[in-house]
Amino acid sequence: MKGFRDAVWLPPLLSFLGLTLALEVWLWFADIPSYLLPRPAEVFTALYTEGADLTRAILRTSLAASTGLLVSVIIGVAAAIGLSINDWLRRAFYPYAVFFQTVPIIAIAPLLVIWLGYGLKTIIAVSFIVSVFPIIANTLSGLLSTDPALRDLFRLHRAGTLTTLVKLRIPAALPQFLTGLRIASGLAVIGAIVGEFVADDYRGGGGIGTVVMVAIKELNTPKVFAAVFMAALLGLVFFALVNLLGRLTRRHWHIAETRE
Amino acid sequence: MPINPGREIRLLRLLFTLLLLCFLPILPPLMAGCSGEQGQGPAGASAPVLQQTALQLNWVPEPEFGGYYAARETGAFAAEGLEVDIRPGGAQSPVEQMVAAGQVEFGITSADSLLMARDRGVDLVAIYAGYQSFPEGIMVHASRGLKSLAEVFKGGTLAVIPGTPFLKLLDREYGLGRMKVVPHDNNIAPFLQDPLMAQQCFVSSEPIVARHAGANPQVFMLSDIGFNPYTGVVFTRRQTLEAHPERVRTLVRAVRRGWQAYLADPEPANRLMHTLNPTMAATTFAEASLIQAPLIRGGLADDQLGTMTLERWRNLAELLQGLGIIQGIDPDQAFVNP
Repeated sequence: MKGFRDAVWLPPLLSFLGLTLALEVWLWFADIPSYLLPRPAEVFTALYTEGADLTRAILRTSLAASTGLLVSVIIGVAAAIGLSINDWLRRAFYPYAVFFQTVPIIAIAPLLVIWLGYGLKTIIAVSFIVSVFPIIANTLSGLLSTDPALRDLFRLHRAGTLTTLVKLRIPAALPQFLTGLRIASGLAVIGAIVGEFVADDYRGGGGIGTVVMVAIKELNTPKVFAAVFMAALLGLVFFALVNLLGRLTRRHWHIAETRE
Repeated sequence: MPINPGREIRLLRLLFTLLLLCFLPILPPLMAGCSGEQGQGPAGASAPVLQQTALQLNWVPEPEFGGYYAARETGAFAAEGLEVDIRPGGAQSPVEQMVAAGQVEFGITSADSLLMARDRGVDLVAIYAGYQSFPEGIMVHASRGLKSLAEVFKGGTLAVIPGTPFLKLLDREYGLGRMKVVPHDNNIAPFLQDPLMAQQCFVSSEPIVARHAGANPQVFMLSDIGFNPYTGVVFTRRQTLEAHPERVRTLVRAVRRGWQAYLADPEPANRLMHTLNPTMAATTFAEASLIQAPLIRGGLADDQLGTMTLERWRNLAELLQGLGIIQGIDPDQAFVNP
């Protein structure tokens, strides 16, 4: 009995079932029409009947979102390392990183279409722009907050800048980098969807953003919510993958420490 | 070890939960907001009491709404005892939902959207058709020397708002396989810089703006391939039609007078709309009202403006059904000529 009670999947599952049921009952008794707010049962029906279209669309979106996130990781980490090396460099260029956080993506997305054209490239660019800042900011703060005692230890052993960076500062920044990645993974999905709003080549049905637009236009509110549910699911998968990555890296780190 | 709650605590918890459940059904009316009776104006005034109502537009003030602003400017609404709050909208205005939820009494949409909403179980009824002829088309660069709509689909890029019903018709008629189909977001910049770009357009709007920007556009009208829904349609929900038939009749009468006035002299309403929408040049207002006039008239006499026929509604419903956009058809329920 104890094992059942301790299962990690139980609390989220119960909360999901409870909330869904409460919403179903409330919408039923309140007699709210489906086109304003569909009942969960209608959304699940849409998930089932439109399953093929939604799956095709979400796979397309996940390609754009994961590529955008990957580019964010590569450029974001490189930028953070660059900024962490030199105070002067950091003061000069960190403000530009902040720019990425505040850029009104809806306003510049149409310009990206003109610069990069319609299609995947622009969607990835939007996903990158909205997801890169949390990676830069968190990784940088991790790189700068290395334990001073350990830094002294490295200096004592006359470790060079590069050795300190690779063997101490980067591993020590890992938890903060993962926090940034966790935030960025959700933003990358949102970015890909916003990108699809302006740049999707949707002849074959398009990504989940286009599916949402079409469903809104057709007043198919259950499908709108079904698509939003799929997008949330994608965000959840990204989140889970980042957590898995975190666990793997920490285990590796742990073994390395014991071996010492 | 969790502490076992006492019996009283458990009872309290149960009561609290029940209380919460009781309050839940109160939320939806709150959500619906300012719905309900908008007809009763403030009582006790000695001046003739005007019935207050509102008309939700599906776009910003442009010549396509000239008749409604003219009805206000010339006092046609007031003469019928109405005070109409004309509310500008935008690309994402959910006009059908707003009218269905009772947030606003009257709205503007196109006949195809109205049939789609009806197919979703929303009982909306058209009462006046602003445009007799569908004013939208596909805009291309004249430099391509295209002779027909079919030739547009040989390649290049087509920008259409996702979910637009005529896209399915274009796909069935011509096939979209050889072109890129991308979202149109009411921005003609991509069209201006790409000579192989085609986009949907309101014939009295984008082509004028494109020409002013130095392009040489050419438009293929969608009504030429049989896509011809009434557009700029004034509609309400059936509840309003049945509860306040007189208000619907007077509104339609005033709207018709407004359009008659606008067709005779668009200048006063254009000036008013220009102050509400300064991004559109005054000259564009004038040009647009000239271009749209025949589409609004549709060859009807002044006192017949805005009237609709069952045949047109049925043709549209059958077309949309054939394209798989709607399931059932009930064109006789979709409109009235009050």
